[in-house]
Amino acid sequence: MSLMQERYRAKRVYEVTSSQGAAELRLNDRVVELGTQEFEWYQKVVSWLPSVRPVADLSNDLGMTEAKVPKFIEALESSGLLYRVDTSGATMTGLEFHGKFSSVLRSWLTEAFAHPFWERMMSGKGSARLFTGWLIELYHYTKNANRHMPLSCAYAHEKPIKQLRAKHYAEEWNHYHYFMKSLRALGYTEPQIAESVPLPMTLALSNFMRQAARSDVLAYSICSAVLEGTTTDRKTYNPYYEKSAELYGLPKEAIAPIYAHLDLDVQYQHSDLFHDILQHVPEMSQERASIVLDAGHQLVEHIWLWTDNIEKYYQVESNPMPRRQFDILVD
Amino acid sequence: MSNSMDFPLLKHSATVSRQNGHVVIRHMRDEVTLEGAAARLFSNVEPQLDGQTAIERIAEKVSEKPARLRALVEQLEKTGVLAFLSTKDDGATLSGMDFYQLHRQHCAHWLEPVYTHPLWEKIVTGKASRAQVVGFAFEKYHYIEAAFEHMGIAAANSTPEMMPHLARHFIEEYTHGDIYRKGLRSLFQDDIILHSQPLPSTRALVNYLNESAQRSSFAYYAGNELLQMTENTDDGAGGAVDEFYDAMRKHYPYTEKLIDSFIAHTKADQKLGHADAFLLMCKSVPPLTRHEVNDALNVAKNMAEHLVLFMDGIDTFYANFATVPRRRCDPQSE
Repeated sequence: MSLMQERYRAKRVYEVTSSQGAAELRLNDRVVELGTQEFEWYQKVVSWLPSVRPVADLSNDLGMTEAKVPKFIEALESSGLLYRVDTSGATMTGLEFHGKFSSVLRSWLTEAFAHPFWERMMSGKGSARLFTGWLIELYHYTKNANRHMPLSCAYAHEKPIKQLRAKHYAEEWNHYHYFMKSLRALGYTEPQIAESVPLPMTLALSNFMRQAARSDVLAYSICSAVLEGTTTDRKTYNPYYEKSAELYGLPKEAIAPIYAHLDLDVQYQHSDLFHDILQHVPEMSQERASIVLDAGHQLVEHIWLWTDNIEKYYQVESNPMPRRQFDILVD
Repeated sequence: MSNSMDFPLLKHSATVSRQNGHVVIRHMRDEVTLEGAAARLFSNVEPQLDGQTAIERIAEKVSEKPARLRALVEQLEKTGVLAFLSTKDDGATLSGMDFYQLHRQHCAHWLEPVYTHPLWEKIVTGKASRAQVVGFAFEKYHYIEAAFEHMGIAAANSTPEMMPHLARHFIEEYTHGDIYRKGLRSLFQDDIILHSQPLPSTRALVNYLNESAQRSSFAYYAGNELLQMTENTDDGAGGAVDEFYDAMRKHYPYTEKLIDSFIAHTKADQKLGHADAFLLMCKSVPPLTRHEVNDALNVAKNMAEHLVLFMDGIDTFYANFATVPRRRCDPQSE
């Protein structure tokens, strides 16, 4: 491994768009524009960095002498596309970490909800079946809070953090009733929904939250904060529900409980909870900050794939809805 | 399991289609075709085959002779598309060996969507991207490496009957992730492989194994066995696997060492006799209640769905987010 491979990493690129021979790369804090040639070189550098190939190979790929390669890499660093790995082992306070999280949350949420499902639903190419399927999965996800929220209390070590997590659980544990109410308005019975089986990715979300709860209460709390980040104000979620109701003829009684639930979340100010928790964290190592941040980003990716799983399953008309448990006597 | 013969139920997972006066009923890999009078009688009574209505009552409703209806439903029961429900749960039990047969039969059916997943075709025809192909190797590595997690949890939470089997399985498997890592090291730095991040769909599969392992030794292994069935193929699928690797080598020459590692792992598993592990477990467990049978089969069915998700993740996620290897976040990367 060369010194350059040891020293540099690529920043996360949230979106690449091409226009008139140039590529625009959207990072969290800036947009970097590259010409066609530069973009190709950049891609070659990014795939070379984690590889076992020598500098000579990269030099050959880029069509430049080995002496010029470091200069090109430094230019990529200056543009913000690459960064030097910090090995200083510096620590940060919990609130400094919260600042980092807040600065990246918008980019993360854009990534989480970039799945084409949302555009499909908003443009009228979705269906009442897709909306209902998504609601069934949301019911399961919300009910499964009982599988991970109490676990986060059990594995928290500091008294103030334990109390904050417990209060959150006390306020949230029975919110699945709101979704049950919506589903009843859509014609389902309570046993049909309560005894149904969630999709694998719905179960995966709560299993991932359980994993995070067992590993580090901050890793759990960042995941919770990402989810709460979607409900900070009505403007965020109103268009989807209103448009779906209009496009797919959904009764008002099916939408009203969802608003009631979201309004309650706003009222409880759950989006501030992560900040309140981090106030009680005087110091975080770089390593812990990375682990916690990584848990948050994994949750973002879980949301994207959750949406994909919902769309793939419920768009097939012949797939059972709700999904029943297998029973050897009747199946 | 013994049942009353009075309450016929068309199995919920059976599908019925009609063409040119024929009725075709499909259940798992079985298919029954009814013609003429039998097809007409079936169509008349189909809505009543709900497991709650007695044969005499159904016959009365459709003005049919009970004996004729009974003859039809008994024939359908023999083919497996119909069952007779008891009016009460009789607490029947099933031997481990009977469960073994039932499990194999259902798993073969549940695995069909895995074998027909579009990702295989994309790789074989060279249409898969580099991210999908290398991603496939990474996700297999993460899944195999996760033996440390689920097999460890399973052994630590096992019932007395299952403990020797789960301990043996863990001890034989925990090094297998290194076989895949060896292949990946032909392309990537070791430290990056070790600290790379699985896809959420791979994490979902591993976490489902972990959660099942913590809850029920037998149900966990019934699910794990479904995964093993995809590795230990004794049904002539070996030829198809070889063809798959040949095509992969042809279209993606840089995967040479990765494929060597896949093959080395399959051979290691076969040498260990893992194909017989579940059979031995089933021989050693006490008879299973209906609840235990359902629990274990539900885990196996869910595992098949998680395996489809695992494939979907590689196919869809790497097509949309082509970064591979997937490195963990740090405060500067975001």
